[in-house]
Amino acid sequence: MSELRRDPIGGRWVIVESEHPRLPEDFKYERHVFQGGTCPFCYGNESMTPPEIESVRDASTSPNTPGWQVRVVSNKFPALQVEGDLERRGLGIYDMSNGIGAHEVLIETPYHQKDIPDLLNPEIESFLSMYCRRALDLTRDRRFKYIMVFKNFGAAAGASLEHPHTQIVALPMIPKNVMEEIKGAENYFEYRERCIFCDIIRQELQEKERIVLENRHFISFCPFVSRFPFEVWIIPRKHNGYFCHMSLEEIPSLAAILKETIAKLKTIFPGLSYNFIIHSAPVNSASDDGAEYYHWHIEFMPKLTRVAGFEWGSGFYIVPTPPELAAEYLRGTEVKS
Amino acid sequence: MPELRKDPVLGRWVIISTERARRPDQFLSQLQEFPPEKPCPFCEGNESKTSHEVYSLRPQHTPANTPGWELRVVPSISPFLRIEGDLDRRGKGLYDVMNGVGAHELVIETPKHIANMADLSPEQISKIITCYIDRMTDLEKDFRFKYVLVFKNYGWSAGGGTTRHSRTQIIATPVNPKRVKEELIGARRYFEYHERCVFCDVIRQEISVKDRLILDIDGFIAIAPFAARFPFEVWILPKKHSCDFTRLDMSSRYDLAMIMQKVLQKLKKGLNDPPYNFVLHTAPFRRPKVGYWKSIDEDYHWHIEIMPRLTRVAGFEWGTGFYICPLPPEDAAKFLREVPV
Repeated sequence: MSELRRDPIGGRWVIVESEHPRLPEDFKYERHVFQGGTCPFCYGNESMTPPEIESVRDASTSPNTPGWQVRVVSNKFPALQVEGDLERRGLGIYDMSNGIGAHEVLIETPYHQKDIPDLLNPEIESFLSMYCRRALDLTRDRRFKYIMVFKNFGAAAGASLEHPHTQIVALPMIPKNVMEEIKGAENYFEYRERCIFCDIIRQELQEKERIVLENRHFISFCPFVSRFPFEVWIIPRKHNGYFCHMSLEEIPSLAAILKETIAKLKTIFPGLSYNFIIHSAPVNSASDDGAEYYHWHIEFMPKLTRVAGFEWGSGFYIVPTPPELAAEYLRGTEVKS
Repeated sequence: MPELRKDPVLGRWVIISTERARRPDQFLSQLQEFPPEKPCPFCEGNESKTSHEVYSLRPQHTPANTPGWELRVVPSISPFLRIEGDLDRRGKGLYDVMNGVGAHELVIETPKHIANMADLSPEQISKIITCYIDRMTDLEKDFRFKYVLVFKNYGWSAGGGTTRHSRTQIIATPVNPKRVKEELIGARRYFEYHERCVFCDVIRQEISVKDRLILDIDGFIAIAPFAARFPFEVWILPKKHSCDFTRLDMSSRYDLAMIMQKVLQKLKKGLNDPPYNFVLHTAPFRRPKVGYWKSIDEDYHWHIEIMPRLTRVAGFEWGTGFYICPLPPEDAAKFLREVPV
């Protein structure tokens, strides 16, 4: 008998197939292969991108030349524009506004073919610190209400350029899913006066069956209500609403767990494409709380299946591999180093 | 300047991106690649390869599970939810769980090996619509179920599987799915304020503005929605207010079949036979009980949402519910209006 599970935060039900679970070898996914070719994110092609906003580079080098380790530029084809006013307006029964926002690209490494597991820990720490710096900088613009950091790796996961990069988008309104998550966490907090994510961490650490990795500051686990097979969340043990307020000791811990989690997944699924998204509390809001009952985390989604009509129409997901089983596979996977 | 637009029902914002400025014809579907096809279990003559039929349209003298049928409904061989058993709702620490009870059926829309519903006749589509209604009415009798989802995945990349034989899936769920609940709440909120159905208002505005109107025939309209999530997303709505698809009368069933066939043909011809999903949005079962939602009849309006799969949905969309649509729906509507059918 399959099981229906309800997400304690958003209230979403998912179907977990426990009777005939799909095992790793049952997934026929599109394998990512680096194609190469001229790449605007490689050394020497700095002039192909908009000018850099910030970078980590050798002291003697000037902006927009080689010698960098991490580079942040504006998206050449931004979904949102930084200049102008929001100008909210109605159009008959419809509401709209100008597409104001920031859309930046963070180039994680000069190496075209190095995904996170192939980097050294300090290299990962370096771009994670840059995530925080960019988020803090964008937060200063009071027009922005939400800073969204996400990565698409591989064409199957929607990456249009294969050179490893992360996107940072500052939005003038709080996206719907985020709002729902915040509301869910708020309701829970009102009732119990505890953070729901802290409670989840406690339950997961106690039950152990969905835990993938633990280190000093973070845990990674397959959420009880996964939407996708082998979905993994990485969450700090210490309560904190905003990822950009992460402490300096937490960054190496995050780099290590992120690297090992992805390495485990890619050992099971060679050539895996994936998305991850940092979930963090909204910024510059009138009721600037969130920090009390919200708890930042990373949601990592391997691209193993296609989302079909059923999911689109209903918001009701079918998970072919129970998270307990996925976690067991991931725990049991040795990473070659 | 890109635009942010808000869906009037769900309150979901989408970015209508104009900067990337792709013309409609730059979205044409790549030639669909299918894995090699196995013998089709859904063709006439292969009835023994499916589960036993629960419904069929066939001459009286032909026995069940034999040739001679016009359409058939069979339980899925690999169902997401199972019909037997109790829900057994329970808690697990802070999590809530219940058994995966439900129904999962396949409507085999034609005995012939035709892949796309667009290529069926309006007469056949009208029979399929009647079949949906009959199955939904039957499943409503099971008090464990709250909602019936009717949807189609056409094409490999839309989740349609490897068998290219046109079919629809019907799933009865023991809970109201989240998306459905949100839509109902959004519609009720609008109604409380305006005392009008939000969808009726959308229909009025689209007919008068015309920018996003694709077809307006015999009591139905097809539009590219103002806050479209995907390029060439199309909604079909009945002009006459009704929350419940199963109440559709016989002549309207044929009219709906006509507009569906036309829209699907336009997508097929105009966009190179793209993969697509469609989902029927209708009111949940309205059984009188405590807390029964009385206003649904007035504030909700059934419709069909069709989503061609021409772009990939990336991390941004998943994480935020904030979609970037690379083609303004006005351009999509204009393009589709001009595709001859």
